[in-house]
Amino acid sequence: MTVAGVHSTPQGAVPARSPATSAAGLGYMAWLYLVSRRVPAALGLIAATAAVLAAALHWRWSIAGGPAAQQFIPLTLEAASAAIVAVTAYGPFGETERATGRWLPYLRLAVVLALTAAAVGALAAAAAAGDLPGGALAMLRNVAGLTGTGLLPAAAVSGAFGWAGPLAYLLIAEGAFAGSWTTPWMWPTRPPHDLGGALCAAAVFAAGVTLITMRGGRDHRAG
Amino acid sequence: MTAATAAPVRHAPGGARAVPLTAARLLRIELRRNAMPWILPLIAVLFWFDSYRPSTSQPPFWILRTFWNMGQGHTIIDFGPFVAGVAAWMGSRDGRRGMADMVTGTARPRWVAQLATWGATAIWAVVAYLAFVGIMFAVYAHQGLLGSPPWWWVAVGAAAVTTFSAAGFALGVCFPSRFAAALAAFGGFLLMMLSSQTGFSHTSGWAQILPTNSNGNFQLDSGVLYPYLPDLPIARIMFFAGLTVATVGLLGLPARAGGPWLRRTAAVIAVAGLAAAGTAVGLADTARLSARGMDISALHDAASDRPTPYTPVCDHAAGVPVCLNPAYRRWLPDVTAALRPVLTESAGLPGAPTRTTQIGATYSSGDGAVPGPGLTLSGRPPVLGIPLGALNLPGAFGSTAAELTQQLQVLFVHAFVIPGAGSGTPGQLAVQAALLQGAGIPLKAQPSALTDYGLPSWARATQHALTNGRQSANGVGPVTGPVYAAAQRLTGLPPVSLHAWLAAHLTALRAGQITLAQLP
Amino acid sequence: MNVEIADVTRRFGRTEAVAGVSLETGPGVFGLLGPNGAGKTTLLRMVATVVPPSSGGLRLLGRDPASYAGRREIRRRLGYLPQNLGYYSGFTVTEFVEYFALLKEMPAGQVPRAVAAAVERVDLGAKARAKLRTLSGGMLRRVGIAQAIVNDPELLLLDEPTAGLDPEQRMMFRALLRDFGQRATVVVSTHLVEDVGAACSEVALMDQGRIVFHGTPGDLVARGQESGAAGDAPLERGYSAVLAAVRSGVAARS
Repeated sequence: MTVAGVHSTPQGAVPARSPATSAAGLGYMAWLYLVSRRVPAALGLIAATAAVLAAALHWRWSIAGGPAAQQFIPLTLEAASAAIVAVTAYGPFGETERATGRWLPYLRLAVVLALTAAAVGALAAAAAAGDLPGGALAMLRNVAGLTGTGLLPAAAVSGAFGWAGPLAYLLIAEGAFAGSWTTPWMWPTRPPHDLGGALCAAAVFAAGVTLITMRGGRDHRAG
Repeated sequence: MTAATAAPVRHAPGGARAVPLTAARLLRIELRRNAMPWILPLIAVLFWFDSYRPSTSQPPFWILRTFWNMGQGHTIIDFGPFVAGVAAWMGSRDGRRGMADMVTGTARPRWVAQLATWGATAIWAVVAYLAFVGIMFAVYAHQGLLGSPPWWWVAVGAAAVTTFSAAGFALGVCFPSRFAAALAAFGGFLLMMLSSQTGFSHTSGWAQILPTNSNGNFQLDSGVLYPYLPDLPIARIMFFAGLTVATVGLLGLPARAGGPWLRRTAAVIAVAGLAAAGTAVGLADTARLSARGMDISALHDAASDRPTPYTPVCDHAAGVPVCLNPAYRRWLPDVTAALRPVLTESAGLPGAPTRTTQIGATYSSGDGAVPGPGLTLSGRPPVLGIPLGALNLPGAFGSTAAELTQQLQVLFVHAFVIPGAGSGTPGQLAVQAALLQGAGIPLKAQPSALTDYGLPSWARATQHALTNGRQSANGVGPVTGPVYAAAQRLTGLPPVSLHAWLAAHLTALRAGQITLAQLP
Repeated sequence: MNVEIADVTRRFGRTEAVAGVSLETGPGVFGLLGPNGAGKTTLLRMVATVVPPSSGGLRLLGRDPASYAGRREIRRRLGYLPQNLGYYSGFTVTEFVEYFALLKEMPAGQVPRAVAAAVERVDLGAKARAKLRTLSGGMLRRVGIAQAIVNDPELLLLDEPTAGLDPEQRMMFRALLRDFGQRATVVVSTHLVEDVGAACSEVALMDQGRIVFHGTPGDLVARGQESGAAGDAPLERGYSAVLAAVRSGVAARS
């Protein structure tokens, strides 16, 4: 085997795809990226979460504790959707993928934003089944902020444990509801139109998205 | 690499010999490389926030400090979902790491290898749970809590954490996907939340099996006047153990798990586990609330009904000895001060108590109302029994000393004037209202006082009578009507005259023979 | 005969990965050659009892792998290194090999010594306590070999075992193969014809799921000489000659 003619296409070889600057090429690359992150499965799970929300609103599932507690089951499902988004952040390729060209950050950013939007959309559609406490505005704020709480540990510690962030936040929120906290960093306890809560949720979301865009999800070291 | 030409010692396949040593070695490897330790720092923070911190506002009784975290299952909520998530991660390990072929091609049944992985995961989770609870209990002990720790509930929590680990692990094995951990964690959390609501609305029956159901199983004198009843904890442990065993057995059913004999054994184990869990639910369905907690006759040991012996502490400032369990020593002055005006009013009257003692409380679930009359007057000479554990101790659930005073006075006067658990005749209610005013609760304030949390159901009827059924915007109506008018007349009498009238007519009044018109 | 394969077929959906392969071999080193997609890995997986054949018969070490008891006995005496080596990145070298030694039902008391010996044999003694994630690709391959040989197997199946090994390690590996071949059946699936030539006493060539050549390396060389096929080495020329003949529709048999 010699290096002669390495840069010329051998006779009969299947031609490689043209560089991914064409729309079709970009689209195909994006599709492969989506598949590698199991985004189709994530969309299915988000839809399932939305279905559970619809059932919860229809049958008025709630925990005891007054009006604030009415929000808690929907909030749990919003956090579950956020966790699903966070868990798609890491890829199976490791260094091989990180040592490629310029498209990876854009792909990460686009997929995270699109999945978050899909989660918000699915949950909003499910909210038509009943009375969602706080309405769609609160839900949008909650999902965005919770997604940020998942993306941050996914980028900093381990992509596979991105679900732990929203779950931990949810537990703290339970205490915040019980203690009638008013800090905007506990945005689920704030009214839907509250600017402070929205800004804090947006800040956490932006931080998570930025970190994921730049670093991607970390590989986990155990298991 | 070497090509050693010395004759090799071919190792005869060991088969079933030295199984414990093999199991120990497998377990040791899995323990050292388990992912569970990674999540423990986060659980520790949440444990402090959600289980320990809210308890610090409660009075220094084991039963009250552990009501939120143990009685309502918050330690399980803090641990369980995270354990389920990490266990799912461990269960999906072979699928994620591409190890399926290599592991399948070994002799040891797949189920055995899985048991080692799950066992290590569960051991980490349970040891961490016990350690965190142990540290919390050590802090409580250092704080000098009164009563005794609820060890049975610690065992229930450990059993529940084991079940979460098994369920999460099984989910990971069946669905070795990156989403398995998230699904296990949030599914477990949602189940716990829904079970807390189910438990709250089901005060009896099968729902007693749920670990978040504190209705009726947390008698406030547990660990103080009586030992904790183990009946319901035993049923819950059986329930969780059954679910764990069933889940682990189900893992042994697929063809890849092992040979036919092993899979049949796994099926038997799964069925046995389900049977145990179902039996436990059935046992919980037979639970009945007794003065000392949930009594399940099939599991009940009469020895656990015996009160814990103690030497009472007494205060004589009220004119009659007021004696309490030494665990309640610091409230003795409050109780004595609260009873002093009503004991003074009743002194010398028929049925007036000669002594006050603490009796066991019966906590009634749901609205927290104290069933029956509350305080009791019984015996010859009459002894006043105070179920102090059921009353609003200052600091407990936000109660104040003023609320305890008010509650004690209302309960005493009711017990003194109206026999039994009924709400009383109009004549009795008017006398009750007059005596309460004499003790320091004005007539106009009594409708509000009668809505206090922790009063028996007759309090509502009394309030209704005093307001003649009228309600204002805040739900408490102004005093009006014939009962109020009669009470007003009584309070207009000189205290000596009222005392003399009561001395002559109290027996008839208690018998329901005195009408409003016959009151002075 | 340690390996008796009778008209074995394996299908995955509509794809016939192995199409009617018959083969017998005893102690010694048996090389399995073939282009990508020839069915070598699938055949090896069937012999490793990881996947069952769709049809045909297998008899390994005198036992029928179709029965659970037979399969278990085979697996106790089996060493298998798949082409794609999965591993638990947090395990150390010793833990990984020990894990598989225990899964192979080696007597627990003998495991530590056997693990140490296997790790030394693949020249990873200095890395025994290193986590797998810290190892190079070649070292990981050697860890895979270590777990395959830890139980001193009677049937050793190696799929692309020398991938990532440097030339010196490849030479030592061939010596290890020859040593094992003296008392066990070793089946090596590889692209590297020089590995076959250096270590194997028998070789089969697969193409499109079928055995298209079975004989000694010398026989394969002779086929190359007869046909004058292209190749840098005699075995390569034999390899090319057989494949060319097959693809031109002429059955090649030794």
